[in-house]
Amino acid sequence: MEWLTPAEWQAVALSLRVAFWATLFCLPIGVLTAYALARWAFPGRQALNILVHLPLIMPPVVTGYLLLIAFGPQGGLGAFLKDTLGLTFAFRWTGAALASGVMAFPFMVRAARLSIEAVDPKLEQAAATLGASRAWVFATVTLPMILPGILAGCVLAFAKGMGEFGATITFVSNIPGETQTIPLAIDLALETPGGEGRVMRLALISIVLAAGALALSEWVSRRVATRVGGA
Amino acid sequence: MTLSCHLKHAFPGFTLDTRFEVPDGLTVLYGRSGSGKTTIVNAAAGLLRPDEGRMQVDDWLLFDTMRKAWLPAHQRRVGYIFQEGRLFPHMSVGQNLRYGRWFAPKGATPEPLDRVVEMLGLGPLLHRRPAALSGGEKQRVAIGRALLAAPRMILADEPLSALDDARKSEVLPYFERLRDEVEIPILYVTHSAAEVARLATTVVTLEDGRVTGQGTATEVLGDPSVTPLGARAAGAVIEATIAAHHSDGLTELNAGGAPLFLPALAQPKGSTVRIRIAAHDVILSTAEPNDLSALNILSGTVQDTRSGQGPGAIVSLDTPAGRILARVTRRSATRLGLQTGTRCYAVIKSVALAPEDIGG
Amino acid sequence: MRVARIKQGFARLRFAAVLAYVLPAPVWAGEITVFAASSLTDVLQNIEPRFEAETGHDLRLSLAGSSKLARQIQMGAPADVFISANADWMDRLEEEGLIASETRRSLLGNALVLIAHDPDASPITIDNGLDLPALLDGGRLAMALVDAVPAGIYGKAALEHFDLWEGVAPKVAQAGNVRAALAFVASGAAPLGIVYETDARAEDDVTVIARVPAESHPPIRYPVAALTPVNNPAVTAFLDFLDTPQAQDIFTKAGFTRPVE
Repeated sequence: MEWLTPAEWQAVALSLRVAFWATLFCLPIGVLTAYALARWAFPGRQALNILVHLPLIMPPVVTGYLLLIAFGPQGGLGAFLKDTLGLTFAFRWTGAALASGVMAFPFMVRAARLSIEAVDPKLEQAAATLGASRAWVFATVTLPMILPGILAGCVLAFAKGMGEFGATITFVSNIPGETQTIPLAIDLALETPGGEGRVMRLALISIVLAAGALALSEWVSRRVATRVGGA
Repeated sequence: MTLSCHLKHAFPGFTLDTRFEVPDGLTVLYGRSGSGKTTIVNAAAGLLRPDEGRMQVDDWLLFDTMRKAWLPAHQRRVGYIFQEGRLFPHMSVGQNLRYGRWFAPKGATPEPLDRVVEMLGLGPLLHRRPAALSGGEKQRVAIGRALLAAPRMILADEPLSALDDARKSEVLPYFERLRDEVEIPILYVTHSAAEVARLATTVVTLEDGRVTGQGTATEVLGDPSVTPLGARAAGAVIEATIAAHHSDGLTELNAGGAPLFLPALAQPKGSTVRIRIAAHDVILSTAEPNDLSALNILSGTVQDTRSGQGPGAIVSLDTPAGRILARVTRRSATRLGLQTGTRCYAVIKSVALAPEDIGG
Repeated sequence: MRVARIKQGFARLRFAAVLAYVLPAPVWAGEITVFAASSLTDVLQNIEPRFEAETGHDLRLSLAGSSKLARQIQMGAPADVFISANADWMDRLEEEGLIASETRRSLLGNALVLIAHDPDASPITIDNGLDLPALLDGGRLAMALVDAVPAGIYGKAALEHFDLWEGVAPKVAQAGNVRAALAFVASGAAPLGIVYETDARAEDDVTVIARVPAESHPPIRYPVAALTPVNNPAVTAFLDFLDTPQAQDIFTKAGFTRPVE
């Protein structure tokens, strides 16, 4: 492929990597949170719901700044994770993934929650009477039935991860090859004289990738839906 | 084996306060809709936490609010057959059946899969999805699934009420088989007298959240004051053996020496059947009836007459076949002079007996 | 060409909505929109009330990286005056006929400094022998976008001059504008950064550990110009005000220098 420079290819590869890991990070935590919000009653439930939606309503720059405070080199969480897991987020692609993951989180939770609420609790009751503990009920009855919804959440999270800008540049800055995802590359190209061509190329790639992800999810969703069947 | 139950629970506008103790076999909780039957079963399953109560099957305690003992639903080992079946749509019939077996504790010996499949006729259905099954087939799978979980007790909440008559007749015999062939106590909820008649070892009647009576099917259905669904449901439940199958489509039964003719039954000669004879299907005559189209005439002595508010009266008759109930007008009872000791004849149309009223 | 026109048209719509308070009719004297490099944030915010009090005109400031602002102006942003942190962008706008050339002049000069987060950091000299990676000790060197924003362009030029760029390039964290780079160092996220001297003075949480020699990069000049079409009397008032002793005093106190011609 000659119509993308190596730097642009780098941005594309990095974007895919960041979006992938952002989605992966969102998946288990998002589904669990959605399940808790949908099925359990506990004090602070409303507070949790608001917390989950914060990245949606706060300016992305603010989210990025909060991430910088918490996970930056001086941040408490950042130092802790570095010491215990050897995991650094500051100025690394992992930080970009974290920023994208946090921004995508509300989308995952909403999609999963809608799906979980659509599962007839009577089926879960039936499973319990057959000997399945709560965890097993979730794994064998709820999870297979909410798969299409989770898939939708994944696509949304992936798309958000591919398009995230404000939080990323505020948290991990623009480092070619490390944190320069497609949106950051486009922004830089916009500010560079003569960068219009690059802007268009990257934008086109972005659209193609998003459309591809959507098409894939539709196909998988249909396959899963036929397996779940009717009532 | 005994099941002892004490339950108290407050609903908006209604309080449930029940206490009963029943022996082994199939116990029917019989009452109108809303009388609290499902609540008792859900408490037994662990799906509902009552305000106050205690339930125990033999030495196995399900819950005791006094001692704050509560076994969670998935540890109760109850096989619950729901009204709507509640089969898992994303699994095949075979997978649904095997679901409970997965979670059965070590040491529990569930019925062998083959036997259950054979007993319920599920062979050809094993690879189908629940969406592709008829109502009757779904319920049969639900029965099998509950059974295969190696339960210590089976619960059934109006399992036939969602089915049409034909399906009901199809599935009811399986519950009879369950009662007869499997040594697990069954708690069965229904508001159908026919199901009571055919299935019950013991009946517990409920009205407005309270236990109003307990006894065998014969006792409960035969006593219109106890029968919660009123005189319309009243009837006799008698046992008879099949004497012969005739070529003109009738089966002759021997009910305590008296012959009874019914439309041809499937059961072989010599087998015992339970028959419910609804009181409103019985005509009384003080003179021996001749030249009548009805084939079943039982002679007997009036044991009791009971009048309600309306024009009707229930007359119970002692016959060689057993206690028969007849619903007549008060006017006729007076006109015929029916009192205790009067000799009279009960006339029952052969074809009046519905298939669901006849059971094995 | 058509694409650029469509973009321009759409951008105009967008900016008109955002800057709804700016009334395009020239008869309505009294409102002026100034796009200025982010390094001028403090001084212009200081000048604003004085200008408004003295002239009665209403001043609207839009502060961002010069590159971003220039791009917006190219796309049709309805600004009245542009103050850039380097000549390149102003030249470009002049080529496209977007500025009134007769109003263009160099307003200010500035200097680059190397700053550190640690208040106890010892001063160093910037020359060919400086081991920046060692100084960074695993941390990052915060700079503005080195290929787009003037502060970044100057900084990279200086490092290239001393043959230090290749060695430190992988450790650079590029921020959207020089103030964001300053924030990285102030918060401690990056141990070192290259910003304008005026930025370092405005921020308490950073320490200047070296002045970047002026010869190592193109002279830092802040050109100012009015944007075409000039039909707002407040523009002249503003441009004149920048030359008053009041304004000059504010510039000098902040650390800006007279521009090197």
